[in-house]
Amino acid sequence: MIDSLAKHYEIEKKAERLFKIRIDQNELLRTINFIGSSSNFMTLSQITCADWIEDEVFTLNYILTTEQRNKNLMIALDIPRDKSKLPTILHLFPQAEVMERDLHEMYGIDFIGNATLYDFALENWKEIPPLRREFDTLAYVNEQFEFRAGREDNKDVKAETKRRRAEAKKLKAKMEAKK
Amino acid sequence: MEEGFIDYQKVLDNEEHAIKSTQSVIQKAVDWFRSKSMFVLAYGTGCGAIEMPPTFTSRYDIERIGVVGVATPRQADILIVSGYCSYKTLKRVIRSYEQMNEPKYVIALGSCTINGGMYWDSYNTIKKLEDYIPVDMYVNGCMPRPEALIEGFVKLQANIKDAKREAGYIKYRENNAFYKTNQKKIFGDNIEPTYEANFVGMNQ
Repeated sequence: MIDSLAKHYEIEKKAERLFKIRIDQNELLRTINFIGSSSNFMTLSQITCADWIEDEVFTLNYILTTEQRNKNLMIALDIPRDKSKLPTILHLFPQAEVMERDLHEMYGIDFIGNATLYDFALENWKEIPPLRREFDTLAYVNEQFEFRAGREDNKDVKAETKRRRAEAKKLKAKMEAKK
Repeated sequence: MEEGFIDYQKVLDNEEHAIKSTQSVIQKAVDWFRSKSMFVLAYGTGCGAIEMPPTFTSRYDIERIGVVGVATPRQADILIVSGYCSYKTLKRVIRSYEQMNEPKYVIALGSCTINGGMYWDSYNTIKKLEDYIPVDMYVNGCMPRPEALIEGFVKLQANIKDAKREAGYIKYRENNAFYKTNQKKIFGDNIEPTYEANFVGMNQ
């Protein structure tokens, strides 16, 4: 199955059961249609998005799964951050409705043809979509909420964990030396 | 302060909330009956909802102290806000709370309701529940065990019985402007779930 697809696409083997192909954004519908109809990758299990603000692109992964649920195929494509538009794949996979709606809310990607791109988890959200990396969560939180007193002396978790581990290690070494 | 509870924290226990007048005998009896029959709204927000089934079923069986679950806010005395509260949930919580008949009490379960907990820097999770609805009892922990919740109920029963402290619903009635201002601050004018969210795509 993978071999037959390899005739048409350049397939990268990411893990034992995970494969990846990279396509151009214009080829999305054609590719998914072709793979969905001609191979065993028949279920869309997820659409993921990563925000590469340095390259000014969103990388979307359409993850397809086989009927036996034993292999996954990632179809990766880049879209520009400022004109983030893609055709919907609703007519091929109805379950994409929620995933596209979620991506629209969290990243502001428009899926042309999907009629359900209204509020989902966030109601009356007025800022830019919160998972875009230019959205400053901490500044927003500090402005929007009042914290209860007592968090002023909070410490950096990573540094504190490191320090405590070093201390415990020292103590252990001391105990062992005593023995 | 007893371990596992922020019952006596300053927020709830300052002077102004202490009731100075003495109770009449009838009022005492009424409060005693009230404390022995607490109807809890079967509603869960966040991960604390997981702790409620064991609390109400045979393992911990909270019914032995008079706590029963009911289906609708209009029959309930107690609302348990069991964990983090996002904007969307908070709207529903406020709506449920306002539908409940007085006397009504709120138990806030978990660190998230106290100071945001692990969601302290989340963009859509509230940090202090008592800004939006009055809280009668905080049970801290992440998550608190059913034992902690039961002890919270027992403390709340004692508070109701002895009328030590002004109940939350009275605060909500008297300082309504304070709560409404805070609610307005995050919801804008759509304080209640008005179902007028952005349904642009719906008509297509």
